[in-house]
Amino acid sequence: MKVFFISQIRPLLDAMAGQMDVYVPKKANSHYVFERYDPDSENDVVFNNIRACTPVKEFLFPLRELAAVFPEPLEPKDIKPFAIIGLKDCDLRSIEILDKVFTEKEFEDPFYIRRREKMFIISSDCYEPAESCFCNVMGGHPFVQSGFDLNVSQVGDGFIIEAGSQKGEDFIKKHSQLFGPADQSQLDERDRKRAEAQQQLEHNNADMKFGVPVHEIVENSHDSEVYDQEATTCVECQACTRVCPTCHCFYLYDTKQKDYFGKMKMWDSCMRLAYAQVAGGENPRKVLGDRLRHRFMHKFSYFLDRYGIDMCVGCGRCVDAEAGDVDIRVVLKKLNEELQGKGKEKEKVAK
Amino acid sequence: MNKNLYQPINSEIVDIIDESPTIKSFVVVPEEEFKFETGQFVELTLPGEGEAPFTPSSSPTVTDKMDITIMKAGRVTALLHDCQKGQKVGIRGPYGRGYPVNDYVGKDVYIVGGGVGLAPIRSLFLTLVDRIQDFKSVVCRFGARTPADFIYKNTLFDSWQKIDGVDIKLTVDQADGQWKDNVGVVTTVLSPDDVDIQNSVAVVCGPPIMMKFATLKLLEFGFADKQIYLSMEKNMSCGIGKCGHCMLGQYYVCKDGPVFTYDQIKRYPNIWD
Repeated sequence: MKVFFISQIRPLLDAMAGQMDVYVPKKANSHYVFERYDPDSENDVVFNNIRACTPVKEFLFPLRELAAVFPEPLEPKDIKPFAIIGLKDCDLRSIEILDKVFTEKEFEDPFYIRRREKMFIISSDCYEPAESCFCNVMGGHPFVQSGFDLNVSQVGDGFIIEAGSQKGEDFIKKHSQLFGPADQSQLDERDRKRAEAQQQLEHNNADMKFGVPVHEIVENSHDSEVYDQEATTCVECQACTRVCPTCHCFYLYDTKQKDYFGKMKMWDSCMRLAYAQVAGGENPRKVLGDRLRHRFMHKFSYFLDRYGIDMCVGCGRCVDAEAGDVDIRVVLKKLNEELQGKGKEKEKVAK
Repeated sequence: MNKNLYQPINSEIVDIIDESPTIKSFVVVPEEEFKFETGQFVELTLPGEGEAPFTPSSSPTVTDKMDITIMKAGRVTALLHDCQKGQKVGIRGPYGRGYPVNDYVGKDVYIVGGGVGLAPIRSLFLTLVDRIQDFKSVVCRFGARTPADFIYKNTLFDSWQKIDGVDIKLTVDQADGQWKDNVGVVTTVLSPDDVDIQNSVAVVCGPPIMMKFATLKLLEFGFADKQIYLSMEKNMSCGIGKCGHCMLGQYYVCKDGPVFTYDQIKRYPNIWD
């Protein structure tokens, strides 16, 4: 195993900051966000035992970017390598989902790909999952499985560092003076903390043991009234789709600048009324419940059919963020109750 | 860097033809050769103003320019209607899947069109008549609100009707003094005897309400869901199956369509809206 130990995190960050822009977790009220690491700052670097409240997609697919310029095409700007510290298993799985969309053969998004290639991922374990976290229901864990360059596990007297890629191994080799061996008691502590976090998640989400895969629940809900009922508290703030690390809808619009015309690409939301409306005024999803249904169908059925993976990682950000009272977990539970009810009715009829 | 699929090809409007009170055709010349299949669509950018999807109405055998027929329907199309010859525009595409013309070989091709829906149909029609001997027949039933609202009048009322193997019937919702053909919505000129239903395909393109009732009529005649090809108008934006605006159930209309069989999409709600 490529596992090492360091007692302090700053020398590691300083070594990185020499080669790339480094983003570290920062406490913001009860949440975490990422901020640029400043090697000269005296502030302590805090470690996040839970995911940040913002989605990692903003590093790969920013809220707004210039996608084309005319009449002279856009000269691509150099992208500096960058590292993000403290990403979680849900974040890495969301990157796996975005990769499916933006690196799809023949339909590659060059802006995403250029950032993705320059990204160095330092994940960390999730010892304090939030009440809204339900990654275990979506096949995730409070610690990473794959997709990281280095992983950091905070233990009593320091940090266990594990390499997850060639890039990560190369980094450790290059800075071998920073790393010492990890001993068994440290590894045992890590494993114990991971198991506790896993138990915590299982406990929190005990009422989401569906017995059938989530996609089966959603695929059978085309005619369900649950969407209309649940959408009654939605105020169309669209926060659910903005903070979602897997939602990737965008809007292209054109602008006039002093000496060029630009085509901009900006995040959009399928929960917005005019989202699917055409110029003639027709709109296939005029009703809020229809938009909520579409969002669920896309996440748990259509995306799976196309790319072989659910488009939800169970991070629960949408639960925390929205201004209304639509809870993705509650909707899934109600749909499941409905599906199980239908099953029972069928059994009755069969008898 | 990978090719930037959001970058339009610089192009110029070289001619503008008034088709009807609300519809104009624009002849657009891209700076580079532009190949497309009939029924595929392009994104036309008016620099600094916006972008909208259109299916070229010209034959795909012409690759140095294309005709784009545009109804004034929203902000961008209204601005395009105000453009003059020489206007610089951008073209992205072609996108999606068009009409699978080779699957129509040996069959009656039954085309039902209305209003500006004749734009994609013109491209298909020109493609079919180029090799008319490959098809049993090309039977067209076209409707418009009034005679003045028909587009491509010069050819539609004249040379197209004289092509061997082509049978065209026209109808209007409201006639004027000179109109001698049928009056009524397009379904009133559809008859089960128009084609050999077992050995035919139907192509429907027009306003949503017309597409809905034409499809229902064809089903009533005995057409199978798989025999009906619909050109779906949705809010296609990126053209490459990512931005999500055009999603119709599991499909991205921009990538998987815009031409679908009724069989593919019938299970989804509100397909006609």
